[in-house]
Amino acid sequence: MNHFPQAWGRPRDDIYGHYDASFLQSSGPNQHTQSPVVTGTSVIAVKFKDGVVVAADNLASYGSLARFTDVKRLRTFNDTTVIGFGGDVSDMQYLDRVLSSLDIKESYANDGHHLNAKNLHTYLAKVLYKRRSDFNPLWNQLLVAGTDDDGKPFLSSADLLGTTFSAPTLATGFGAHLAQPLLRRIVPDEAAVGGITQEAAVAAVKECMKVLFYRDARSLDKYSIAVVTNEGIDLKEDEKLEAQSWAFAEGIRGYGTQVS
Amino acid sequence: MVRTGYDLSNSVFSPDGRNFQVEYATKAVENGGTAIGIRCKDGVVLAVEKIITSKLLKPGTNKRIATVDKHVGVVSSGLVPDGRHFVSRARDEASSWRRFIKSPIPTSIIASRLGSYVQMYTLYSSVRPFGVTTIIGGWDSEEELPVDGQVGSGPKMGAGGKDESLRSGGPGLYMIEPSGLYWGYYGAATGKGRQVAKGELEKLNLQNGTLSLLEGVKEAARIIYVAHDDSKDKDFELEMTWISGKDGPTKGRHEEVPAKLREEAEKAAKKALEGEDEEDDSSKGDKMEE
Amino acid sequence: MFRNNYDNDSVTFSPQGRIFQVEYAQEAVKQGSVVVGLVSKTHAVLVALKECSSYEKQLLYINGGRYQGIDDHFGIALAGLASDARVLSNFMKQQALSSKLTYGRAIPLERIVASIGDRAQTNTQHYGKRPYGVGLLIAGIDVTGPHLYEFQPSGMTQEMVACSIGARSQTARTYLERNLDEFANASKEQLVQHGLKALKNSLPQDKELTIDNTTVAVIGMGKVGKLENFKLYDGQDVSVWLDLDSEEKSEDTSAATEGAAMEIDS
Repeated sequence: MNHFPQAWGRPRDDIYGHYDASFLQSSGPNQHTQSPVVTGTSVIAVKFKDGVVVAADNLASYGSLARFTDVKRLRTFNDTTVIGFGGDVSDMQYLDRVLSSLDIKESYANDGHHLNAKNLHTYLAKVLYKRRSDFNPLWNQLLVAGTDDDGKPFLSSADLLGTTFSAPTLATGFGAHLAQPLLRRIVPDEAAVGGITQEAAVAAVKECMKVLFYRDARSLDKYSIAVVTNEGIDLKEDEKLEAQSWAFAEGIRGYGTQVS
Repeated sequence: MVRTGYDLSNSVFSPDGRNFQVEYATKAVENGGTAIGIRCKDGVVLAVEKIITSKLLKPGTNKRIATVDKHVGVVSSGLVPDGRHFVSRARDEASSWRRFIKSPIPTSIIASRLGSYVQMYTLYSSVRPFGVTTIIGGWDSEEELPVDGQVGSGPKMGAGGKDESLRSGGPGLYMIEPSGLYWGYYGAATGKGRQVAKGELEKLNLQNGTLSLLEGVKEAARIIYVAHDDSKDKDFELEMTWISGKDGPTKGRHEEVPAKLREEAEKAAKKALEGEDEEDDSSKGDKMEE
Repeated sequence: MFRNNYDNDSVTFSPQGRIFQVEYAQEAVKQGSVVVGLVSKTHAVLVALKECSSYEKQLLYINGGRYQGIDDHFGIALAGLASDARVLSNFMKQQALSSKLTYGRAIPLERIVASIGDRAQTNTQHYGKRPYGVGLLIAGIDVTGPHLYEFQPSGMTQEMVACSIGARSQTARTYLERNLDEFANASKEQLVQHGLKALKNSLPQDKELTIDNTTVAVIGMGKVGKLENFKLYDGQDVSVWLDLDSEEKSEDTSAATEGAAMEIDS
């Protein structure tokens, strides 16, 4: 052990040759996050007549490595709102702390006022936009689910640029390509929401999680699912995909040993 | 006492070593409604006597016990706006602790920080001391706190493993005076009726650690009623909050005592008071000593 | 000659634990002309006398007289130094706007009132500052219903059912205390009438309420959870409320109220 922290934990020069420390910049411009590191994949959500169903798997990937397999990517707020996080996991943890601090500050007054999903979405979008304007984005896409000022189901997304978007079905990451079309088939527009039961919504989301596991290489068969209604939140964080069938894989050509 | 001008500025000692401005600030406290705190074996109760100064005040509002963090509550007696200033500082301390240390602030530490803060207002002639005495109640979690940024559950044994038999946390109660002086207490009282209240608190033998939180709520209500001086003050409202551990009624949070329980306690307090009047006048004797 | 040594600044306690500078600031509130505020289950009302000093007039008539609508959902009335009120109202406008932008939520009244209270407290604890020389009544509506708050120079803020501050306001308060039980279930019209009566009680003997010296502001919970925005009645507009008051004297109360109410709605 010596007194040069930059040498700690590195290969010994006498054995491995000179260590190339050029990536440890000691001068030059400040650099901020330019890509996410440990990431979570899709979050999917769909509105139904009394509320919203949200789901995300429990995987945090480090590149292509399935690094952490018990990461909870759905967070509740006030027993009225669920926030689903896609993208960088450490930024998710930062936002989680920001939300916890907000929760405490909101509870000071004890005056009967509570932030609903719509308020939280507005706030989070502002936080994300501020950070991207500082050229230091929080590398996430969020889905915020709950109810609005009138107690109607609310679902909206906000991303690392501060862009916001609302629709009766939403999905982030790979889910935007794989799950969103499937969900839209069931809930094509806002008018269709009233005709969807909770059971139908949950079934659709579970089916989508399965499809995502089949086709998204950064996904996992363990997932969290939450149902938000005016009655509260039913959050399950340790679900397992059921009735998987890999028969379809037989037909896939062009990978691994199946050359033609 | 002959005032010789040493009492005109804060941070000035008189020839006999007193800081008069701090003593005068204490006088402001002595006129405030009685506030008490009781440290029970499974939680803390805070209570305050809110004198109703006008009929036009909206009943049940204008809360005087503040939440500083999830697990910490503060009640003060004296100048109400000074109390609010104190609370806002306490909230800043608690949230900055969370920001840097990534865990809830221990009650002993928030008391220490605020003691220092109040003391600073006795040091400079450019400020005046706080016109409040403040009681801080809190519950330090006995559960193992999650490590911030922890992914997964961590090792079960070896380095970073846990010793299941270790226990920490519990109730905390502190009182800070305008001088910045603070101590930990089993039972604390301040404001107008503090002498009577202190007498009653002593009778509870809180140092034995046997009083339960529910009994504490009843006692707190009774003490506020006993300490209230009908002849001097008009009506009052009783405000009470409590903090229990994870297994208790508030699940580690500082909350208002539910209305039903408070009313029950108030009813019992009134009943106890009527009985006492018939028996003896010992409580009145206490008051005369003040 | 007796000289009070303890009243030179706001950082000196008297031997009794009083802060004279703050108490003197409360006197400034008593110099201002009277304002009255009261709430029912559905409405919050402010009524005020416009007899400001010429100094006050110059400052305030630029922007809506003695009231300030701070946001759609609440407004203030003041007694005392109008310039100090301007500082506080600008601050409140910022806070209200910030809440709207950050959370998309109308700011909860208790919180914005607490924020000006905290600001005022600072002025009573630091040398070189002076307490605000103004008292405010803050009336408005949020999701928990109508509210009325009183703000004092000491930084004290309290939620009230009804309140009056300013010159000779004690007589108005006495009226309010006597009729306290009637406010909760009063209609908009009845509530304004109570306010005007309280105001009249604090007038000198030879004075009457007229369209030239009276202003009224009303805010209410509209139908289906919608807000009736903070609305100011000044000059000729006040006549509907004053007529209501005089009609009531001569005629049957309930009939007059109903008639006038229809007139206003149309």
